[in-house]
Amino acid sequence: MATILETAAGAGVFNTLLAAVDAAGLREALDSPGPFTVLAPVDDAFAALPPGTVQTLVENPSQLARILKYHVIAGRHTRDALITQEAWDSLEGAPIAIRSKDPFEVKNATVVTADVECDNGVVHVINRVILPG
Amino acid sequence: MSTTTAPERTKAPLIPPSTHRYAEVIHRLEAGGSMLPDTPENLKQIIGIYKAYAVPMDFYWRDLLYIAERVFLNPLPAFKYFISNEYLDRPNSYAGDQSPLRIWRGTEKAHPELLAFMEWGETRRMPKLLHHLWHDRVNMEFAEACMQAMFWHQGMGGRFNDYLESDAYKANADRAIKAYFKGNPLMLGLYKLFPDMFLEQVRQLSTYANLGLFWEVMAPVFFEMSDIYDEGGFKGVPDAMDFLVNGIFAVAGRPIYHHVFIGGECFEIIPKSEGFTWLYEAALPYVEAVFYRTSPFRGTKSYNAQAGQVPGNQADFHYGILYADVYPVGSAGIPPTLLMQDMLHFLPPYLKEIYKQHRRGEEDELIQLGITFQRSMYNVTSAVIQALRCALLYPLDDTDPKHLQANRAFFEAQMDRFLRPEARLPDIQTQDYR
Repeated sequence: MATILETAAGAGVFNTLLAAVDAAGLREALDSPGPFTVLAPVDDAFAALPPGTVQTLVENPSQLARILKYHVIAGRHTRDALITQEAWDSLEGAPIAIRSKDPFEVKNATVVTADVECDNGVVHVINRVILPG
Repeated sequence: MSTTTAPERTKAPLIPPSTHRYAEVIHRLEAGGSMLPDTPENLKQIIGIYKAYAVPMDFYWRDLLYIAERVFLNPLPAFKYFISNEYLDRPNSYAGDQSPLRIWRGTEKAHPELLAFMEWGETRRMPKLLHHLWHDRVNMEFAEACMQAMFWHQGMGGRFNDYLESDAYKANADRAIKAYFKGNPLMLGLYKLFPDMFLEQVRQLSTYANLGLFWEVMAPVFFEMSDIYDEGGFKGVPDAMDFLVNGIFAVAGRPIYHHVFIGGECFEIIPKSEGFTWLYEAALPYVEAVFYRTSPFRGTKSYNAQAGQVPGNQADFHYGILYADVYPVGSAGIPPTLLMQDMLHFLPPYLKEIYKQHRRGEEDELIQLGITFQRSMYNVTSAVIQALRCALLYPLDDTDPKHLQANRAFFEAQMDRFLRPEARLPDIQTQDYR
């Protein structure tokens, strides 16, 4: 099996996310044994944000890291585990609500592909960038 | 509620109509509109006042940062409004050629109309000190009143206030306080006796920095909106609101920090690396504290707190511009009046023309522009509501009825805040509220 970042790189639809992980200096952390549960927005999700949003974040690594950490939950949690709770604490600190089991929705994003198993965690592919609040 | 515009829904609704008292406004928001009806005059009024607001705001943000970063703990800050040339020339991060994310096409330095006003005032050209003593100047007290509202209310989302109570913050503040009063045994002695008093002052100064960094963004946003309007670029109120929504997202990740410069050294009281953002730690608390809450104004109206005339719960405070009765507010000594007087100096001619045609013409310009400002802030609040909907909920053209229902519940909850009788939402639906 590959790590979370290797899996994401191989998929080819997480280029913005991977660039953001590098800009925020989170590569080393996400390559560690973890395990982590990563809610990974596809490139289209970042592209849907209004102009300038990503640029400002990329120029400010600490602020970008905060938003990215909101997409990560400590531990390895599959869909079946996640839907047992109404909300999960993100690494950013704010909770991520599980709004719907079927279709599987976290916060205001829909999980396009769930349970992508990796060496150091599990990835759920989502169609929107989620924000704390 | 009487309204002038019909709901702008065009498609067959996927969910039943709202039964809320402000259903018409909610349907308008669901169609991508603003709380302010889309009329040519509303567009003209709000853009005109944005421009008039942006000029003094260009002073406010510069001076707020000057006070937070340079004046700092000066025990006798008599000259805190005498902003240095360095801060008048300080490049706005969102204007000018040097800006990586340029919002306004204009200059990065202080606005020319502001500089002219600082030189001439309402009276004549004279030394800065005389302008100050004659109170012929920008009413910086308004900016400070907004800062105090943010500082006092606290607990309005974000992590800024939690950090102000943290050990890391206290250690950073302690270093800066000791450096600032180095060689001053009297002040260092007082600090030893009353450390919390000094710390609280630094917390307030961090709030100065917070608001300064917030307004540094809004001034170029409003200047650019004025320029776009002058070119005929906005088709209606929703266009103006969308520009604000996009602006909110574009700068959402801007760091909020507090640096102090003492003897050529920078003390990072709130470092950028804390990850505080413009949206969460500045914009949202600002809107809550200033547009909705603030505090009862001292002046023409007296409040009896014991008789329950002032809410016991801070979250129920409703003295912001969205609830203001502009007529008494337009009297002396009340914070928004200071802003109105500041805006009066920079009204575009087309706005002055509107005021001449209505009510008592130039005689009550201050009141008329106050109500225009109220309309414009309902539009800014609409932009914030739409931005939050966009960030936390679903697109307006979503086809899932559950998602649309979630958007509906959000909009209705926002409108609940305007159910109290002081709210001016019903008034701004008609053009004859002036």
